[in-house]
Amino acid sequence: MNLYTGKMLVVDLSDQTVTTQPLKQEWIRQYWGSWGLALRYYSDMVDPMVDPLAAENPIVIMTGPFTGTLVPLTGRLALVSKSPHTGTIFESNVGGAFGPELKYAGYDGLIIKGASKTPVYLKIVDDQVSLEDATHLVGKGIFESEQAMEHAVGDVEAKCLAIGPAGEKLSTYSIIGSDSYRQFGRGGTGALFGSKNLKGVVCRGTGSVDVADMKTFIDRISYHKHNNLFTEDNLWAQSDGTAVLVDATNEMGIHPTKNYSAGVYRKKDQLNSDAIKEAKLSDRACASCPLACGKFTRVGDVEVEGPEYETLCLGGSNCDVDDLEAVIRFNRICDDLGLDTMSCASTISMAMEMTESGRHDFGLRFGDAEEYLVVLDEIAQLSTERGRDLAMGAKRLAKKYDSADMSMEVKGLEMPAYEPRGNYGMGLAYATSERGACHLRAFPLDTENPFDVTPLAQEVVDMQNFNGIKWSMCYCDFWGSIDTKITAELLSAGLGEPVTADELDQAGERVWNLSRLFNLKAGLTINDDSLPEKILKQPLKDGPNAGKVFCADDFAVALQTYYKLRGWDENGVPSQAKLSELGLEQL
Amino acid sequence: MSKLLFANPDKCTGCNRCAYVCSAVKTGRFAPSVARLRINNYAHQGYAAPSICFQCPKAHCMEACPAGAYSRNEDGVVVIDQELCQSCGACVAACPYGMVEMDAKLLAYKCDHCGGDPACVKECAPGALVYQESSKDLLKLKAKQMKQRSLEGTPAAKRDKLGRALLIEARGESG
Repeated sequence: MNLYTGKMLVVDLSDQTVTTQPLKQEWIRQYWGSWGLALRYYSDMVDPMVDPLAAENPIVIMTGPFTGTLVPLTGRLALVSKSPHTGTIFESNVGGAFGPELKYAGYDGLIIKGASKTPVYLKIVDDQVSLEDATHLVGKGIFESEQAMEHAVGDVEAKCLAIGPAGEKLSTYSIIGSDSYRQFGRGGTGALFGSKNLKGVVCRGTGSVDVADMKTFIDRISYHKHNNLFTEDNLWAQSDGTAVLVDATNEMGIHPTKNYSAGVYRKKDQLNSDAIKEAKLSDRACASCPLACGKFTRVGDVEVEGPEYETLCLGGSNCDVDDLEAVIRFNRICDDLGLDTMSCASTISMAMEMTESGRHDFGLRFGDAEEYLVVLDEIAQLSTERGRDLAMGAKRLAKKYDSADMSMEVKGLEMPAYEPRGNYGMGLAYATSERGACHLRAFPLDTENPFDVTPLAQEVVDMQNFNGIKWSMCYCDFWGSIDTKITAELLSAGLGEPVTADELDQAGERVWNLSRLFNLKAGLTINDDSLPEKILKQPLKDGPNAGKVFCADDFAVALQTYYKLRGWDENGVPSQAKLSELGLEQL
Repeated sequence: MSKLLFANPDKCTGCNRCAYVCSAVKTGRFAPSVARLRINNYAHQGYAAPSICFQCPKAHCMEACPAGAYSRNEDGVVVIDQELCQSCGACVAACPYGMVEMDAKLLAYKCDHCGGDPACVKECAPGALVYQESSKDLLKLKAKQMKQRSLEGTPAAKRDKLGRALLIEARGESG
């Protein structure tokens, strides 16, 4: 088969069996790959009311049609399941090189069902697939676990997915790590593996990905790489990496500072891209990416790939920690323990505000880098009372201590590092993302008027639909100028059959609506399409947006405009007409 | 003076595009495990080093071949005529850098600089691979890599040994 291997690997951990099944051909041109195809598989297998950590909740991991080929920035891999952190449908995707390795081993994707009675890891070497005892890896960090699994395969080119102690302890913001510093982040993917007693997956693939017309395929890739990818829209990734956003968001006044109390950070120069360049040892790329946005840094005796912007802000300015070495250390410890840096940092900054305001003393204060590093192990190991408290995440912590005014989350997912009071479009994007507050579904920072909700609602809809197909192709976020026209051209050459931009556009909208249907069936309502109290009521401090709120009335207008543009009713339920248009009426 | 292929690990990002395009050009498929050059990628240490064929002046592969399948062309590139290969594997064992392997038909293959226009170099955005006339600096870089010879082990183990030695040289033992 061209661009696909045509096979899915199915692992049932309850009865310890491994089988393969043919890829569902009828779904390919509806959902394409990665997010879309994983979502379609997942929706078919599960009752949306399922407990995310029950054996009955499967995990679907999928590559995209371009994964393992020369199409740039497509070496990724998506995971779809129900999130234990948010209770919503959930997609996360990881870079590094595991995606291509899985495909070279002969599988478009991996379905993981059931739960093992004892700790195991999954070993894939081409068509030799087995479940192996992982007792010796229990309690080990991600770095050591990856290394041990790679050794067991005996091939340095093997790639791993692994969880750390946080995933084993079912922390709902634990992550699955890969290549040490890359993650299936957000939403508690680590706990999904942990609940199944699955410590990790190691894979070595020596097969191939085929295309219909190699010459045309490579010619067109080369053309679009030079004329579209290597342009101003994307080259910041190569020169600066995501740290470039530190200065940019400060300039816009949307740089979360001290648990989202202010929109600029006066000590930002210690954490911006110049500071990262100063500490940089090398540029690092995911498989197939010629940009290499990863900046491998060292300060003192500590190294990490990163920190990326979200960590620089949420683990830096938002905790008032201005010391790059401390942020690098924070990043590295989280990566090894298996904690999502964003949710973890955000929950810590909330605890800092609670401590300083006298609400509850967690022994954590803004600017106290020493204590914010110490608490990480307590969170991952659930070893102290404050560790157990913080491991709950912002939403449940707020409930326990009656502190919704300091909790910065949507649907339970802690907010990314772009202040909605300075850009209402970001607020609408957070409120309507299927997985909770997320910057990877719509990112309207370049908008003309960041407070004009009607055009912003349209922008958010368009970006969400586009990302529905972009993530389904496994493109990285940072090919900012890629479009469905180029994608259709590359798919046509690769598959050997014509593909149109229109069908891809519609597939993106289909993915978005299918996610919405799942969430409605999982019990979510319009009340979950909301924003934190602080955003709606408390005026932002400092910078160009000082004094701004995104008041409830403005937000309600934005939300209703958005629903209408989507063809959903006033409660956010997709109309029958919209579902028929997308071929979703049976679902 | 003819051009040569050089690798500069300090610029390599580990993206593997060189191996992707090499396999596509040489086998018609995307299969980096049969590429004619390979990337030793050490994600944990944030380091990557290409393994390339050095077209050794004293070519062990050529010397080891009992069938006379090897020759050196006018550009100084060591090439193999697969028609003459007897699948004995002597060249694979002889190469100190793990840069000769056998394909599914048990015929030996190696890098031939794509006849003077190497596809890998054009695909290397960070400039870790260059194809040009030699200079003092480039020869020094190459000599440093050529010192990392392995007399035994699989091709993969030999490449890994070179990669790790360069990693330690660049970053120190703790790397």
